[in-house]
Amino acid sequence: MNAPLSPLIHLIDDDAAVRDSLALLIGTVGLRVRAWASPQDFMEKFDRGGIGAIVLDVRMPGISGLTVLEKLVAVGVDQPVIMLTGHGTVEMCRRAFKSGATEFLEKPVDDQQLLDTLQAAVQQHVRSRERNRDDRDARERYAQLSAREREVLGLIVAGLTNKEIGRALDVSPRTVETHRAHLFAKLGAESLAQLIRRYAALVEDAA
Amino acid sequence: MTPLHNRLAVLLAGAAVAAIGSIVLARLELDNLRAAFETDARIVHRLLSQRTAQHDAVMAMLALLQSGSRTDRPEQRIPSVYPQILGVQQRSNDAAWPDAALSAAEDESRRNRRAAMAGVDFKAGRYQLVQAAVPASYAAQIDLRSMVPWEEWPMPRETSPVRVMLEYDGRQFVLQPGQEGSGWRQFDFRKRLAADSQPFDVVAMRNLNWTDLPWIKMLGWTLLTAATFAALLALERQRAERRRAEELLRLGQVARLNTLGELAAGMAHELNQPLTAVLANTQAARRLLDDESPELATARSAMQRAAEQARRASDVVGRLRRVVERPDVAGQLQPLSLEAAVRNALYLLEPELQRLGIKPAVGGPAVTVLAEPVALEQIIHNLLSNALQALAQVPAGERALHIESRAAPGQGTLTVRDSGPGIAADVLPRLFEPFFTTREGGLGLGLSLCESLASGMGGTLVAANHAPRGAAFTLQLPLAPAA
Repeated sequence: MNAPLSPLIHLIDDDAAVRDSLALLIGTVGLRVRAWASPQDFMEKFDRGGIGAIVLDVRMPGISGLTVLEKLVAVGVDQPVIMLTGHGTVEMCRRAFKSGATEFLEKPVDDQQLLDTLQAAVQQHVRSRERNRDDRDARERYAQLSAREREVLGLIVAGLTNKEIGRALDVSPRTVETHRAHLFAKLGAESLAQLIRRYAALVEDAA
Repeated sequence: MTPLHNRLAVLLAGAAVAAIGSIVLARLELDNLRAAFETDARIVHRLLSQRTAQHDAVMAMLALLQSGSRTDRPEQRIPSVYPQILGVQQRSNDAAWPDAALSAAEDESRRNRRAAMAGVDFKAGRYQLVQAAVPASYAAQIDLRSMVPWEEWPMPRETSPVRVMLEYDGRQFVLQPGQEGSGWRQFDFRKRLAADSQPFDVVAMRNLNWTDLPWIKMLGWTLLTAATFAALLALERQRAERRRAEELLRLGQVARLNTLGELAAGMAHELNQPLTAVLANTQAARRLLDDESPELATARSAMQRAAEQARRASDVVGRLRRVVERPDVAGQLQPLSLEAAVRNALYLLEPELQRLGIKPAVGGPAVTVLAEPVALEQIIHNLLSNALQALAQVPAGERALHIESRAAPGQGTLTVRDSGPGIAADVLPRLFEPFFTTREGGLGLGLSLCESLASGMGGTLVAANHAPRGAAFTLQLPLAPAA
């Protein structure tokens, strides 16, 4: 995965005037914008790995924005999707959120509202990507532990002291101390608190 | 089931009922004919039996009454009392019968102790009856035709269809000729006469003709059935048409609502697109100008685009106005009867009228105005629907609906007056404004459309309240020039 330079907003609207003006507006806060006239074109060509958000008009010729949304979610696109509509109904709104839309805005849209929503969406996307990366990282490190080290980690997470762990595993506190040092090194943990925060869930999953 | 199947089923059912009814009628008639035939045949048998028994009695009496005196010859007087007895011969002990047959009969009579028959001659229509006795025996010659008591005969002898014969020893004597039939059916009767001395069989037969069937009754029944089923079909068709009309009306309403919904959605989209662009452009321009080093060229072009999009929005509104606001009805004006238009509208609202228990009072002279048919119907329909909705708000006993036509010089008017709550004073001036409504969920387009349609046809629509309570709408349209 290439680390993106800065977030990229994909804007899909068949109306050139709307597309250009919204792109200009979004650009004024320093976000990069890529405007698409055709939903089909967008779905074929856009970079799914990038950080950013998608702004999708509901009413477009050929294919409805809601259908585009459903297809994006179905193929596992993780960028947040913001729906824009000129005549939102409750039913349409319900369907959009159910299909995984992040936000549903009515045209004409206020600049502050749109830009705030986009910033929030981008931050949310960045956080979710980081969380995913951390999770994967933690799983990889956990996989490197020996069986004994995993036992020791489980007891540390359970809140036992070195002495108590030694008694439980029938080894000397010094041996426990050695395992503990290896654990911290292999898992890249800098403090007990960080170790527990990152790996408690994995230990419970393994148990 | 489709209407066609329905009709076919009714037709088949009708044909079956007609056929079964006709068969039953024919059977009844045949049974009647058979009963009459058998009654007549039994009467004939009884009459002839009585006569033969009489012959026996006469002969027995002669035998008993005979005296020694040769001068007193009672047998000579018998033909004058019994016309069928043509003559009586007497044979004394010492004499002999002129005919061997008579001798044989006398022997038989003596053996059986009753009279005996001899010399049956069907060609001549006669037979002899012999009574053996002591000292003298008698032989009477009897005429078959005269033997029949025609005055008591149960049938008209010449015209009756029944053939009646006496049969003896395989030969037959026809008493009544009867009539030939087509032979598809025949009644038969055969019974021996009661007197053993004269063993004739009474044979009666009747050949039935096709004309004996009760054709008139059967035809009548068929016609009656046909009429009944035709009436049923007509009723069914009427109901179906009514249902179709209601369906069409409902569809029309739904379609109109859909059209309005589509129009609203389309309008929202058409206007929101340029408005979105206007807003985004101006807001982007403001942000660009707010920067420490403003990008003037970009901001200027954004403002330029905003102005273009504002113009685009205004074009959309103009186009909508041309489409919606003034339907062109002036082109299709034609002479129309107000009364007929009212009748059509009332017909469509019939279920609603019945539900509310309203009997509309329609009055005034026949007026023919110049109008476009659909527009006129739409106006009247809307006015009546409004009146019904107003009337639904007052108790059932106080609901009255008056529809009155009037002809003024050059103008025809139609007034729809209800006894509903009337129109509030603050509402009255705004009544014909588009999108103004007092009704929950109402579009506020009905009366506005009516007024546009009326003025498009060169007329007016006026609303007022009237005493003691209720609203009155008056539609005025140009009178059609006299033909």
